Amino acid sequence: MAELRTHPQIPQTHTFLKADNISAHYGDTAALKDLTLHIPANRLTVLIGPSGCGKSTMLRCFNGLVKISAGRIEYEGESIRALSETDLRRSMGYVIQSIGLMPHMTVEENVDLVPRLLGWERASRKERATRLLQLVQLDPEVYLGKYPNELSGGEAQRIGVARALGADPPVLLMDEPFGAVDPLTREQLQNEFIRIQRQLKKTVIFVTHDIDEAIRLADFLVIMKDGQIIQADTPEKILATPANEFVENFLGPNRSLKRLTLFTADHCMVEAISGTDANAKAYLEPETPGCYWKVDPKGIPLSGFAWVQGKIIERPINNSGHTVQKYSSLRECMSNILSLGLPSAAVVDEKGRLCGEVRFETIQKISIS
Amino acid sequence: MQQLSSRSTFKKKLAFTALLLFILHYFLPFFLARENRISSEISCGMTTLGLMFTLLLSLPPLLLLLYAFIKSEWLSEILLSLAGTLGLLLPFVVLATVGPNVVTELGPFARYSPTSGMYVYLIAVVVIFLMKPRMRIYDYVGLLVVLAVVVYVGSQGSYSQLGIFMEAKNFGSRLSREVLAHIRITAISLAISIVIGLPLALFSYQSQRLRKLVFPLLNILQTIPGIALFGLLIAPLAALSQAFPQLRAWGIKGIGNTPAIIALSMYALYPIIRYSFTAFTSLDEDVILAARGMGMNSRQIWFTVRFPLAMAGVLHGIRVALVQTIGNATLAKLIGGDGLGVLVFEGLGQASVDMVMLGMLLIIALTVAADRIFQVLINFFTPIPLRGKEALHD
Repeated sequence: MAELRTHPQIPQTHTFLKADNISAHYGDTAALKDLTLHIPANRLTVLIGPSGCGKSTMLRCFNGLVKISAGRIEYEGESIRALSETDLRRSMGYVIQSIGLMPHMTVEENVDLVPRLLGWERASRKERATRLLQLVQLDPEVYLGKYPNELSGGEAQRIGVARALGADPPVLLMDEPFGAVDPLTREQLQNEFIRIQRQLKKTVIFVTHDIDEAIRLADFLVIMKDGQIIQADTPEKILATPANEFVENFLGPNRSLKRLTLFTADHCMVEAISGTDANAKAYLEPETPGCYWKVDPKGIPLSGFAWVQGKIIERPINNSGHTVQKYSSLRECMSNILSLGLPSAAVVDEKGRLCGEVRFETIQKISIS
Repeated sequence: MQQLSSRSTFKKKLAFTALLLFILHYFLPFFLARENRISSEISCGMTTLGLMFTLLLSLPPLLLLLYAFIKSEWLSEILLSLAGTLGLLLPFVVLATVGPNVVTELGPFARYSPTSGMYVYLIAVVVIFLMKPRMRIYDYVGLLVVLAVVVYVGSQGSYSQLGIFMEAKNFGSRLSREVLAHIRITAISLAISIVIGLPLALFSYQSQRLRKLVFPLLNILQTIPGIALFGLLIAPLAALSQAFPQLRAWGIKGIGNTPAIIALSMYALYPIIRYSFTAFTSLDEDVILAARGMGMNSRQIWFTVRFPLAMAGVLHGIRVALVQTIGNATLAKLIGGDGLGVLVFEGLGQASVDMVMLGMLLIIALTVAADRIFQVLINFFTPIPLRGKEALHD
């Protein structure tokens, strides 16, 4: 199943952001102890660990918000001490859990903050802000003039991401960016972020304490404890061979189920059989491992049909919870299959139109591979 | 049920209070008449007003009684407005009609002034206005009509024998001088305390050590009674002006406006430093963190994040200080200063209630005007999305 891999091997040689033997202290307590980490370029690196493990501190070392007491951080071949602090930070997007949007500035003023600091022209700033809002799927006409207090939690978080991408920085630092939103919104934001990251291929360092989120997003997963790195590898390798008992415990009991979060629906989906009438028998040969989907003229699925024990069964699709999106994880697909009782899950695009299905047999193959 | 919930028990209590006050007013003198400013007063109550005017004054309470039996929402609200507007208008009209009649019999220096009965009546009217869910356009029109009628009646000379106007006439140009002096003392004190207070608030925000020094001192300062502080300043300032006669030429001496201004600015420091300090410490730290993380330098963070966001709180402190200083400036007179305190304390000395009243009314008018102007200013400087949240600072 090599073609199903969504996480390419990390090219360890290519990196422009490195921390070598760094330590950091808060007063007398050591937050980071002689730690070395090379961040793979154009990949998403997730730092995870229990609270107080130093993951946020690590992140803040990279943009100089925390000063290291020993070691060296290198950015594009130069020690960050040699760079101006503000220049360094302007070249790295920064998203924090509480977002920290400027409450007295409009969405537009928030998003073009870094471009403004860099002295961009007004016209190109405006264009950039419009493009970024489109990227995070918020209508620029509606949102550019709004103030942060008029936004929902999810919307504010999207603006936070858009602001971090403001001046198109090569590096993005994200400190538990989706930690403060409800689980449903979080999953949506993750899906969207995967889409954005596939498009932009930024070098991202992402801090979280949610192991599912980590496995889902990470190309490179760094597990930390007490200011040290316990294991750093691709999530597949870590799930397959945890370095020690701590990692094993941290990953939790159902690792095989967690493995499913590594893959997204678009990589495993097959073409779906669909039509606007309900005559499933005409389209579906007996014992097909997939479904026939009845859709409306726009292509939005209305119900699913499948052979189960020699009979055709029908399951109506009433809400968005009955379908999955392109960037949903296989775990979501699996839960969808189980809840509807069909052999496959319908995958829809941004407008809710059917664009394929993920079959149970595919998931099964992946989980034993 | 709708009716029950809309006419809450709170409203019923207010209506009851208003009615009680109206009833109480019948047993109190409505106005006083005097032969001259210090002769003993003649109380004028129901008997002086006569049946017609007493009945006229009973209209608002009757409307309020009627209100209790009306079910219709809009009708009852109009009834309240009518009762309130009439309640505001009638006492002034009655006073202007009956007052001069009584006074003309008493001679050329006679004067009259409203007293407890009319005050209680007006408080009842305020309670009626409190019962209204909101002020509507016709309420404002009503208030304008009342104002127009009162001004018209006044222009006919009906109020010329009103005590406070007689006093104002006696003062002549001195009156406007004292008003200006009051404003000047307040403005100078406030300016001094802003110049000292704002930097102190900022430095306290930055330095823990300064904070530990400033706030205990402020707290002690605030507990010294006003008059004591005025008195305490007399000795050192007198000594200072003895030692450096040049200072005396600038008006710095033990008594007069200088010690008053110094004491007033010391008092005004407290609200200014407290409010400004709170405005800065209550800034969202995450916003500052995000600003730093995005590469703003510290000057940019101060001028584009901290100052704009703290501005409303700082202005709020200045507003509190201003209102407080206008009131306290009255005490300046006690150590030989100018201002409206002159009217109040001279009035007290001469047992002239009208003179005290005149001073107090002018001080209240100044306070209300300053407060209004400042509210507009605060609103102007508050970032749009944060407007209408002033209550947060109170």
